[in-house]
Amino acid sequence: MMELTIPNQRVKLLGLDFGSTTSSALVAEASVTSNCITGRMEFGEPKIVFKSTSVFTPFIQQHIDEVAIAELIRQWLTQSGLDSIFAGGSIITGLAAQSRNAAAITKLVRELVGETVIATAQDPCLESWLAFMGSCSDLSRYHGDALILNLDIGGGTTNLALGKQGDVLQTGCYFIGARHFQFVPGGYQLIVASEYGLALLREFGIDKGAGETLSAEECEQIMNYYCQALEAIVQGESKFFATTLGKKHEQVAFSLAPDSPPPKITFSGGVGELIYQHMASEGLPNTTYYGDFGIDLARAIIASPILSRDLRDYVPENRGRATVYGLTLHSTEISGTTLFLPKPECLPLRDVPIVSKLPVTATFEQWLVALTLAMHREQGACVQIIGELGGLNDIRVLGQRIAQSLKQCAYPAHQPLVILVEANIGKVLGNYATDWTKSGLNVLVIDEIPIRDAHFVNIGRVHQQIVPISFFGLH
Amino acid sequence: MKTLTNLAQIKLPNPKPATPYSIKLHDRECTFRDLKHLLGAADISKAGDRKADLAAEDEVMREAARAMLSGLTLQHLFDHPLTTHQGVMDSVMHVNYDINHTVFAEIATFTLGELKDHLLRASGERIRLIGTALTGVMVAALTKLLDIHELVYLAKKLKKGAAAKARTVVGLPGTLSSRLQPNHPTDSLSGITMLMYTGLSTGSGDAIFGLNPAIDTVANISATLHHLDKIRRDTGAPTQICVLSHIKTQLACLEDGAPVEIMFQSLAGTERTLTDEFDVTVELLDHAFLTMQAQGALGKTAENFMYFETGQGSELTYGKHEGIDMATTEALCYGLARRYSPFMVNNVTGFIGPETHLDNHEMIYSCLQDHFMGKMLGLPMGMAPCYTLHSQITLEGQQMATELLTAAGANFFMDVYLGADRMLAYFDTSGHDDQTLREIYDLKPAPEFLAWAISRGIFEQDEHGQVRRGVNWGNPRIFCHSDSEFQRLQESVPAIYGFENAGPRPSNRVSRTMKSNQAIGREAIYANLRPAEISGIALRELHTAAATKIEHLSDPELGSRLAEEALKQLNPEPFTVQILISDGLSAEAIHHNIPDLLPVLLDGLAGHNISAGQPILAPYGRVKLSESVGDALQPSVVITLIGERPGGDALASRSMSAYLAYRLPNHGYEYTVISNIYMGGLPPIEGGSVIVEKVRAILHHQAAGNRLESLMQVDVIV
Repeated sequence: MMELTIPNQRVKLLGLDFGSTTSSALVAEASVTSNCITGRMEFGEPKIVFKSTSVFTPFIQQHIDEVAIAELIRQWLTQSGLDSIFAGGSIITGLAAQSRNAAAITKLVRELVGETVIATAQDPCLESWLAFMGSCSDLSRYHGDALILNLDIGGGTTNLALGKQGDVLQTGCYFIGARHFQFVPGGYQLIVASEYGLALLREFGIDKGAGETLSAEECEQIMNYYCQALEAIVQGESKFFATTLGKKHEQVAFSLAPDSPPPKITFSGGVGELIYQHMASEGLPNTTYYGDFGIDLARAIIASPILSRDLRDYVPENRGRATVYGLTLHSTEISGTTLFLPKPECLPLRDVPIVSKLPVTATFEQWLVALTLAMHREQGACVQIIGELGGLNDIRVLGQRIAQSLKQCAYPAHQPLVILVEANIGKVLGNYATDWTKSGLNVLVIDEIPIRDAHFVNIGRVHQQIVPISFFGLH
Repeated sequence: MKTLTNLAQIKLPNPKPATPYSIKLHDRECTFRDLKHLLGAADISKAGDRKADLAAEDEVMREAARAMLSGLTLQHLFDHPLTTHQGVMDSVMHVNYDINHTVFAEIATFTLGELKDHLLRASGERIRLIGTALTGVMVAALTKLLDIHELVYLAKKLKKGAAAKARTVVGLPGTLSSRLQPNHPTDSLSGITMLMYTGLSTGSGDAIFGLNPAIDTVANISATLHHLDKIRRDTGAPTQICVLSHIKTQLACLEDGAPVEIMFQSLAGTERTLTDEFDVTVELLDHAFLTMQAQGALGKTAENFMYFETGQGSELTYGKHEGIDMATTEALCYGLARRYSPFMVNNVTGFIGPETHLDNHEMIYSCLQDHFMGKMLGLPMGMAPCYTLHSQITLEGQQMATELLTAAGANFFMDVYLGADRMLAYFDTSGHDDQTLREIYDLKPAPEFLAWAISRGIFEQDEHGQVRRGVNWGNPRIFCHSDSEFQRLQESVPAIYGFENAGPRPSNRVSRTMKSNQAIGREAIYANLRPAEISGIALRELHTAAATKIEHLSDPELGSRLAEEALKQLNPEPFTVQILISDGLSAEAIHHNIPDLLPVLLDGLAGHNISAGQPILAPYGRVKLSESVGDALQPSVVITLIGERPGGDALASRSMSAYLAYRLPNHGYEYTVISNIYMGGLPPIEGGSVIVEKVRAILHHQAAGNRLESLMQVDVIV
């Protein structure tokens, strides 16, 4: 007897991380499988099959070196022996994410890697989310009752994500990082400072520029500022950033709820890597070995009783590579297997705007408004349904309401309308919404997709009865 | 190096026509049709033997049979081999005659009664020596004369000398070992790892790491063998590994270079069962033995490298027992196993269900018989007293069996985490049980493993050699590099309820969770269908040939057809589809799913203009009932919605399947099944919609099952 099962094929996932300081690539292999506990489809038994060395992101002054980046991507693809990519992500962060740079990298990624990988830039909340998922996702489920605040400190930014039981609850981003000052390695002779670095020098009355050496006191002043800023964030003291200097450093504000219990603090990113390296008694490299403040910042954090309070008991994974792990293993969601997909040939759908998020109880008028918005997106649009449906009657009512709204606004038959739902009701909702397919509309109901507060979604081709989904443009 | 006796050189008797046996017990004349019936009647009454019409009709007949047997000599049993229905000795019986004739010559004139008394007065060495001169039938006959104390007492004497050596020695006196059985429903390597770590932390696995795979392919078996090997190396645990797939698959894995350390095979006590059902012959077993001897992964280190599993009743379940009772066919298995000097023999009596062993009494007694019979025939016997929820065997009965079997000196038990097998949906002993028994009976794991476990803080030993649980006992986290890794592993295993222990037992909270899940599962099976709860839709109720729940559970065939009077009511109808609802092995699955599923299914069929007859409700049904209904009503497709056999998960005990039987134009049916319909799997509302799509596909392609899947070129049908 033939059972409705999914063959357990392995797929390849790719992550590319272009940061202010370093860039790296990761390739994982996983099965697309149903979790034997939750029943949800997931990437099972992920295994890293290629991990590039972290290389300095190639810049020519402030601009990305496109030729070198292209060569880097080609090299990674060759080294990893990647023949086909099921899904993946590429993120461009910090200094590399300046608009001209980002556009160049995005174009290169699309040309060289293909359409299955999303390429995003200047998406600080996505970056925070990815870093948390790459470093603390499992740890936060292990400590199920604890709130975990991960600080991903790289060259340009500190990306914060507060999470619990594997879910990110809140994100933020500050221009605090190792590479706002670049030095000649081995000392503090300044090569260049970013605009945020320059602002700090001005604030502290340090009138020094390229070629000049910062004194120990001056370095300490800067480290103190960074530490105080981080301490303020983790303690929910938002007034620290009320000053002009503070405001300048705040890209996306992060404020802990006043009644929130103190979160457990973890670190990732390049500075996080150094912190845990030191905690494992592996020592730290020599002064400004990397030509920036990374080592100093790590030491300052370890010396802060507030920031270092959980370093021993809450040890995250992947640290320096948290973002690229997050990208590779967590940036793609997998739909359920019983999705409603009358015209599978319309896939993949890229950059589909999420035009509306409607509660399950949304009225006919609300649906009409949402669908009218969606109709203006000829390439397809998406509506997310939020909340839990009670039972069969609720689904019937919702399906019929969608059917009436589609009819009322004369929704074009060819135009894809993507409906995302969390519950496993894709097929039944799609059937009721299209009068058991008789309406002929290209309505896609993709189920078992966790709600993400995003602006866009990409939907990949059908593979073993599922589709891969990636969100970007996170709030 | 052991050599196999040339089959042609085994001295065989000439089969004789069956003759009746008569005896007068007090004033009652008791006659038994032949030796097979005499042996059957001498045993306690068990479900399988009752079904085969072999059990004694009452206590007097049983004692008469025992009295009759007591007077038969071993020579008589030698001269009267049990034969097939065609009157010939099969290959299993043939191998059973590979005995020590020098010793047999000494005892041939003993009656069974005299042999019993002789053994009870003898030393362990003498009993063991006599065992080499006995066939399986002789041991089975002897066993029918033994009471509980005698079964335990004699087996206990046989503990010395029952050890076997692969990489390590297992079965020494003073030890109680365990097979760590990390079965996982999808063979997830993470899940297997978690279950391995959990078992190792309770000191389990010294006999073997033995996985029953969910997928029996060379690629999967090789992958899981390599994985078990990696865990063994990484943890340093001194033991051996095995993946219990078919012998042919393991031979292919060995050929591919996989670490096949121990070769497994299930055995049966009749050739027809062995060859037709298990796809094994004596020649194949010989080939596997010789291949392992030459190429096995343990090389010359291992003196023993075969692993067999048996259990009373498999021959009967397949209807290929040749009229021989369950205990005797089991002893014949042991006579076959003996040929290969195995490293382990594991007995899983209770696994099959109520058609062989109805209740605790039957299961416990059979386990004690099997353990004794195996040991008597020189085997390193381990035991897995176990049960399924559709029998009336309970956890308490299983625990009584393990207490008695430990007293009897069983070499090993299973370690199934918390006793619930997550792949095979049955219940077995746990690592907690094994440790509890070690402490009650002052036993230790195998010596090399114990030393390792002490080094890992799982056990500690004082200056007097006393072994206690160590600080790390029951803490699988010690094998993980990080909390994150431990979390990932935990999330890959269903039914993990926490790691708190109370002494050698799980904490009360954990035990209560397990037991309550079992209670829900058991209730789901034994509950009767309550039509009022099923749906607001009018159903026509028909009866199957099973008149009661017990009949239904004990005899699957009865639920596979409608009762005669029900059939008389049915005539061919002009509908394309017929929906049939039955409790199967979980009435609660029907109560919980049908109210949501049936309306969607009917909406969908109507939405696609597919006509459907009035749905039928038939309590006490099996999947094959589809065909009885299909033959009578003649729709194109019968959709049978039926409850699945519950395991240890409360929610999953409400799981239902939809069997879509396509009636072939000429004769017969093809099936497509959609399983796991319940709120934790495919929700019933969505299930209704999925069934509609499959029915459309079946009607469109005029095919179901494998043929349908090959005809469908797209992944998703709408």
